[in-house]
Amino acid sequence: MYKLNRNIFGSEPNSVIRLADTATIPFDPDNTDYQTFKKEVLAGAELQDADGNVMTQAEAFIATLP
Amino acid sequence: MPVTINGDTGIVTPMYNGSITANAVTPSVNMKNRIINGNMVIDQRNAGASVTPTVSGTYTLDRWAAALTAASKFSVQQNAGSVTPPTGYINYLGVTSLSAYSIIASDVFALYQGIEGLNIADLAWGTANAKTVTLSFQVYSSLTGTFGGSLRNSAVNRSYPFTYSIPTANTWTSISVTIAGDTSGTWLTTNGVGIYVTLSLGMGSTYSGTAGAWAAGNFSSATGATSVVGTNGATFYITGVQLEVGSTATSFDYRPYGTELALCQRYFQIYGYGANGTASDSCIGTGMFYTASEAIVTAEFKVIMRATPTYSAATVTNGYRYHRAGANTNLSSLPYSGSSSTSAAIFGNISLPVSGVAGYATQIYSQVDGAKISFSAEL
Repeated sequence: MYKLNRNIFGSEPNSVIRLADTATIPFDPDNTDYQTFKKEVLAGAELQDADGNVMTQAEAFIATLP
Repeated sequence: MPVTINGDTGIVTPMYNGSITANAVTPSVNMKNRIINGNMVIDQRNAGASVTPTVSGTYTLDRWAAALTAASKFSVQQNAGSVTPPTGYINYLGVTSLSAYSIIASDVFALYQGIEGLNIADLAWGTANAKTVTLSFQVYSSLTGTFGGSLRNSAVNRSYPFTYSIPTANTWTSISVTIAGDTSGTWLTTNGVGIYVTLSLGMGSTYSGTAGAWAAGNFSSATGATSVVGTNGATFYITGVQLEVGSTATSFDYRPYGTELALCQRYFQIYGYGANGTASDSCIGTGMFYTASEAIVTAEFKVIMRATPTYSAATVTNGYRYHRAGANTNLSSLPYSGSSSTSAAIFGNISLPVSGVAGYATQIYSQVDGAKISFSAEL
């Protein structure tokens, strides 16, 4: 499960928290954890917004990411 | 004037009544060895403690990851078992089997290192000019027999399975495997994976291929190789791992410790009390209060990282401290909600349980053993 992380430097999130170990994963296509995050969410893993609400359009959101 | 170049004595130049002899064992600062931490001296994550991987991709000693399809079948520890390393080495990576596990076709148990494509570009793999390489290492095992491993590309659709023999138990044995460069397939020369070097600890038939030839497929080992995880208590120790250009194994490419550490830190960095041998309070970063409850602190990385890293922080009671104007605030965790790059992390900690003063400076300290943060950009 993942949760979007607040970004105080901009309105859009730029990282996601992996809830299993609270690691913060940046939205960098070269980061292997980020690559795994996208694969897992597209395969059905839960993604929450920064307030903890489950995102029902997670796949569509993933499509907007780098 | 005759000049003698000798591998043992160095460069000898007759001069007047004597000679000038250069150091024959000058530490290397180049990259003859494409493996990083091949002599297993760097262990930033575990500092010599044992780790039992439960998920595949768990890193053990620096740059060495464990692949597994079943949890807790083996442990990994720097200098496990405390045997005497081979001459010239002080460390090795030690694997201990924790059960007698029966391998099934889809199983994978292995140690591997992903070599960054930027570090193998000169090999010209995937072209007609592909260079031959030689993989060498020292191995010590309680088991004897034929063992296996492989080289693979990033897409894992090109593989070269190989075998090697350990004829005598509990004795350091020198292994050398020469591999003609692959003239086919796609081999990345970017900051992605150039070559996966894998040493099998037990491989199912699905991922085992014919030894000694390139194949189109994902083979991490050779068919019929010995399974370390198949014997409870079996040990498998390695060090001196080297991958070099050429058809013969040469002496291990000793690099200065600081150089080896810096090479590792391109992929993983750790900060705080207890990190890399520190045994005292450790400053993580400095910054300022943006508002009364919001601090922005920058931690500059020691070296530029391969990619924007993943951030992790240990939770330790009162492990971290914000120094602020005339006071301190302790925190047990160090959440991160900022922005980072390959060169620095910018902590933007919001809603801190403190009342600072906007514009005042602050520092984040790690003040309790184990209160460590890390950044990972592993392959």
